[in-house]
Amino acid sequence: MRRPLALALAVALTWLVVSGPAGVGALRPTALAIGFALIAAALAGSLVKRFGLPRVTGYLLFGVVCGPYVGNIITTPMARELQLINGLAVVLIAFIAGLEINFARLRPQMHAMVRFGSITLLLLYAGLFVFIWLAWPWLGIAPALVGLQKLAAAGLLAAVVASFSPTVTIALIAESRASGPVSQMTLTLVILGDLILILLFALLMQLGRFAFGGSGDVGLFESVSWEIFGSFAFGAAAGGIFALYLRHVGRELTVALIAFCAVVATAGRTWHLEPLLAALAAGLVVENIAPPRGDMLKDAIERSALPVLVVFFAAAGASLQINALAVIGIVALAVSVVRLLLIRSATFAAGRYAGLPPALAGWVWMGLVSQAGVTLGLTLIIAGEFPTWGSQLQTLSVALIAIHELVGPVLFRSALVRAGEVGRMDTLGPPALEGVPLDTSDL
Amino acid sequence: MTLRGELRRPMLALQRRAALGLRPFTAPVTIFIPLGISLGPWGLGIISPQTLAHLDVVVTLALATLGVFIGVAGARQAPAMPRLFAAASLEGVITIGVVAGAATLLLGTWGVPLDLPAVAVALTLGVCASASAAPAAEQGGDPEHEIASRVADLDDVLPIVLGGLVIGIANPAAPVGPVAAALAILVGLGTAVCGWLLFERAEGSAERAVFVLGCLALLGGAAAFAGSSPLLAGMVAGWFWVIAPGESDKLVGGDLARLEHPLVVLLLITAGASVRPDLLGVWLFVAYVTFRLSGKLIGGWAASRLAPDVAPSNLGAYLIPPGVIGIAFALNFAQVAPTAGGSVVFAVALGAVLCELLTLAVVPAVRRA
Repeated sequence: MRRPLALALAVALTWLVVSGPAGVGALRPTALAIGFALIAAALAGSLVKRFGLPRVTGYLLFGVVCGPYVGNIITTPMARELQLINGLAVVLIAFIAGLEINFARLRPQMHAMVRFGSITLLLLYAGLFVFIWLAWPWLGIAPALVGLQKLAAAGLLAAVVASFSPTVTIALIAESRASGPVSQMTLTLVILGDLILILLFALLMQLGRFAFGGSGDVGLFESVSWEIFGSFAFGAAAGGIFALYLRHVGRELTVALIAFCAVVATAGRTWHLEPLLAALAAGLVVENIAPPRGDMLKDAIERSALPVLVVFFAAAGASLQINALAVIGIVALAVSVVRLLLIRSATFAAGRYAGLPPALAGWVWMGLVSQAGVTLGLTLIIAGEFPTWGSQLQTLSVALIAIHELVGPVLFRSALVRAGEVGRMDTLGPPALEGVPLDTSDL
Repeated sequence: MTLRGELRRPMLALQRRAALGLRPFTAPVTIFIPLGISLGPWGLGIISPQTLAHLDVVVTLALATLGVFIGVAGARQAPAMPRLFAAASLEGVITIGVVAGAATLLLGTWGVPLDLPAVAVALTLGVCASASAAPAAEQGGDPEHEIASRVADLDDVLPIVLGGLVIGIANPAAPVGPVAAALAILVGLGTAVCGWLLFERAEGSAERAVFVLGCLALLGGAAAFAGSSPLLAGMVAGWFWVIAPGESDKLVGGDLARLEHPLVVLLLITAGASVRPDLLGVWLFVAYVTFRLSGKLIGGWAASRLAPDVAPSNLGAYLIPPGVIGIAFALNFAQVAPTAGGSVVFAVALGAVLCELLTLAVVPAVRRA
């Protein structure tokens, strides 16, 4: 009873302040938005957890319900202010992911992972491309396109639809304290898959420029290469410095961690790097080259991760354009169903080819459904480059993100629960699948 | 000797200085305000005006946090020591009166054009001046020093209430002073009840930290957005958590202790980076330092009539270190009145550094006496 009462009080207080005549102050509503999101989204997260859903879904639903497109308690300026924390959150989330990838531990499973990942990605992309090519007249993007133009547009759309969400995957693993083959495989697949898709996307953009009469210069390819390799180099250097700090100073770690994330996020923006990749590289360096002694980093992450995740997903929910679903709902739903079926069948086939236990492939696909920032980023590039048909593609993509961002976390959490991996991050010893008669030596 | 050993020597010397009861020059104000100035737009420019705008959220959070600290300290100490509370309030009122009175007179004489009532600027300087941070007394140490510490803890309560009114006067978009103060109290109470319902039933320390951080941001953010004072809202909440049944105050205290240090550091760096030299600021700085010292000495002398066991001449001297509350209030004022606020931040931030340095000379002399 106390929690609903507190939730009602927070909502009422914020609503009074936002809608009252005093809400004309010159100050930006950042602190108000963060405070309201922290309390109310955290409560919404604990509420949905009672129904067996991931907390992340509660944070997202809170954002949707209170956001500017539905309840408008989080007004448009407040939602914009909440986005400020996004850069920090993405870096922190990716850094946590990097810390979870230990090459020495993964080495025996690497071969199977590469085979499984490459086949899954190939089948998924090929399947989506064929579907989009065949269904093109009904997608409402640019039905009149033919030949090379249609090839480029369909290829780009397939890359957008195939992309995953590393942030949601990592956040769910961190929130569930999950560890084991399913979380490890999903995480690796999502990160490497997105890397490959981004490279493919850059090539397809070149094709698109050529097909639509543009210059076809190599600018985008160069910038993507810089983003990927430059980000890894910068992140590795930043991770090395942070590892030195951990080893030789080791004080005020929560503050140092937040400051580190802020520096990586700011440098990413300034130097056109990809903060997600940079932070991932930093985490890899810290974990694999200079691991900290004791639990001090783990404690600092635990203290700082939850508030950042709560605000990040509440902001994501608040910015979800639910109205896009109303515009293109049926088409988006159809594409979503096809994507789901393709992910399921691609992982099944790839699992068999890589010699993975069927149960593992049967769970990993659930972690590949979420879509968020990467998808939106690719969409915005297309819309900016090809405004004539890119805006329709953006509407479809936003509607797909709305569906997958709400459905994906539920599915992935369910997979982690069924694999018995929830809460295993805190236990010692090598992760293993529970209740599944399989030989994990190949994983 | 190794490099590490070389570095340790001055640190040990500083620690001995502090252990001897001297106010070491490592007081946060004397370190981080100059650091902020050197990093800010008037220094190296590493903290750009855009970054400063983003740091507004830190200022708001820090204001609410400091308010909670004062509320908790006030609620615990004021009922147990009503005479000391009265003495501290008297000292605060006298300092505000001296500084605000002199500033009103001088602003009128100088004829400086201001975009808000001169009395609002003068009262702001008074409120900033009244805050004190006497050096922490050791357990079982000098009783005079201990009383000065308690007076310094309690002398912020009344100025914060008055500050709630001043923010209402200074902010053209906000409701009038008393309504703005009432709004801050409403926000403080509402958020305090919300936190009280949550803190003790949180599922683990991580979730409680989310609630505590959320309450602080809501306190500061809602009060600031409503055009009222986050310090006052925070103080009301802190007071409520002490008197409400349960252990909310203790739970909040644990989490706040982790936030306090980084927030204070960021607040002081922000204040330093916000320092914008102008003629009005220089005039206000001179007036601020001069009349703050006078106000503290007169106020301390008057307060010692109510506070037993402390020599009338000494209490004021102990209260000269300004701490961070005054700087926080100056930044709050600058948020609602940016033009005049810039000059006030200049005067108060540099005045705080000078007062801290003066303390190096004054407090040891008092203790020897």
